[in-house]
Amino acid sequence: MRIRFVLSIVLVCLGLVAAILPQTKNSSMELDAQQLLNEIQLENYVISVDEMANALINNDPEYQLIDLRPEADFKAYSLPGSLNIPFDSLFSETWVPYIDQIARKNVFYSNGTTLASEAWMLTKQKGYKNNYILNGGLNNWFATIIEPKEPASTDGEEAFFQYEARLGMKQFFTGAGAVSSSSSKQVKKPVPRKKKKMVAGGCS
Amino acid sequence: MGPIIPLFEISEEINLLIAFLIGLGFGFALEQAGFSSSRKLAGMFYGYDITVLKVFFTAAITAMLGLLFMNYLGMIDMSIVYVNDYFMSSAIIGGIIMGAGFIIGGFCPGTSVCAAAIGKIDAMYFIGGSLIGILLFGQTYPLWEKLHNAQHLGSLKLSDSIGVSDGILGLLVIAAAVVMFWVGEMAERRFKREDINNEI
Amino acid sequence: MEKTANKYMNPYLAGLMLGVVLLASFYLTGRGLGASGAMRSVVVSSVNTVSHDYAETSNYFSKYISGEKSPMKSWLVLEVLGVLVGGFISGAFSGRLNFKLEKSPKITSKKRIYLAIIGGALFGFGSQLGRGCTSGAALTGMATLSLAGYVTMMAIFGTAFALAYFFRKNWI
Repeated sequence: MRIRFVLSIVLVCLGLVAAILPQTKNSSMELDAQQLLNEIQLENYVISVDEMANALINNDPEYQLIDLRPEADFKAYSLPGSLNIPFDSLFSETWVPYIDQIARKNVFYSNGTTLASEAWMLTKQKGYKNNYILNGGLNNWFATIIEPKEPASTDGEEAFFQYEARLGMKQFFTGAGAVSSSSSKQVKKPVPRKKKKMVAGGCS
Repeated sequence: MGPIIPLFEISEEINLLIAFLIGLGFGFALEQAGFSSSRKLAGMFYGYDITVLKVFFTAAITAMLGLLFMNYLGMIDMSIVYVNDYFMSSAIIGGIIMGAGFIIGGFCPGTSVCAAAIGKIDAMYFIGGSLIGILLFGQTYPLWEKLHNAQHLGSLKLSDSIGVSDGILGLLVIAAAVVMFWVGEMAERRFKREDINNEI
Repeated sequence: MEKTANKYMNPYLAGLMLGVVLLASFYLTGRGLGASGAMRSVVVSSVNTVSHDYAETSNYFSKYISGEKSPMKSWLVLEVLGVLVGGFISGAFSGRLNFKLEKSPKITSKKRIYLAIIGGALFGFGSQLGRGCTSGAALTGMATLSLAGYVTMMAIFGTAFALAYFFRKNWI
């Protein structure tokens, strides 16, 4: 008798609480604010221009450059082998397979870093993996690789080595027979991430 | 976040081990409740023993509230949890046939296994009969195939189909269950059968 | 409510225990309980062993045979094995282990056996058609608020209540 009484009260109370709770949907893939903050603080989502330049020179298939600027800008100038996904259509059906995939590392870039950072945050929050940004964007690319700054005479040896390397890179990207933006390099088909689906169940 | 095994892509071997452990708990709880006795189970339908009602609804409501609260606390991704696929005709007709089997045989598959485990011979025959019934279904499947696949409405939730939130439905189910507990208790006193209760 | 309740666990407590097990199942594996599916696996395995070719051509059984994996290595089969062991442990723990053909004193043992077989056959058949039994469809379904679960539950219990009068001599 006692248990029935207590149980009834408890269940009705819990039921009332449940009834006023808002219905929420949890997605196991998406990150919440704290998780996103942690990822930002780790800072390992930035690719330096030197690293990217090296990768391009060595024809490293690991990276896929993604140009977030409008098509006209892309056609005027873009980094070799990059794919043009204008920022506004980032999450359109055509492009989602390219940003939500597991095969290669996407490197977002734009003129500065604003667009790239925004794209990174949005895709990160959705739980997409393998997205990075190019440090400083095209502006930094020009300032570092295409027009490398000669180090002051008081700078250390390392600065000079870096300068020499960058001179070489500049030659690679702008010299005669340089790899141009309209390179014939095919953009590889994306390998989509396995979607989480409902578990099989029931008496079957 | 749960469910753990699908989301963390844990091996199938561990999944099977967990299945066994869950079954262990399941069987233990069933037998402790007295579901290893066909006469106790049948008592539900004659009023002298409403244990089935109490156990069934308490269990379903406990799990239901658990899921609701876990969902609210972000502890589980309900889009991955299995929601039964609804085929209207076969659900109803299958249910009717099972209901007949229940009142004739005095068991359902889960309780029959539990009862057989403690030595109940009628349960063992029930299991044998079940296997025959399943075999029969498979052998004559072409006759039932159309019915079996008719009116496929997908993984529909009751709350969606009657247009209330999950929480409100939960409250309604709890309210119904509480009423049934009290009414049932009165019925049990009215239809009391000491002779049977002393035997089972 | 004294009677023989001290022999069995309080039904509300047992229900609570069962509910926690069910919830754990959802949280750990994303699925609920079941029983009839395991019995089907037994039938499929047997049919497959007796005649693999026939099993392949059967519209129904072929769905459950895959090249590499045995139909017995399934979640439900392991779970039902657990039920067997768990029930045994509980029976041993409470001193309820003994061979017994439980029946009403008003019918013969032979009749009880026939009723058990027929009831089983009906339940087995119905569980395939209805895609579940009281554990898999009704109990699990109710916890996830699935319409299929509620409909199946009401069909099972409604029918049993409706037919109870006609089979009363077998029980009371």
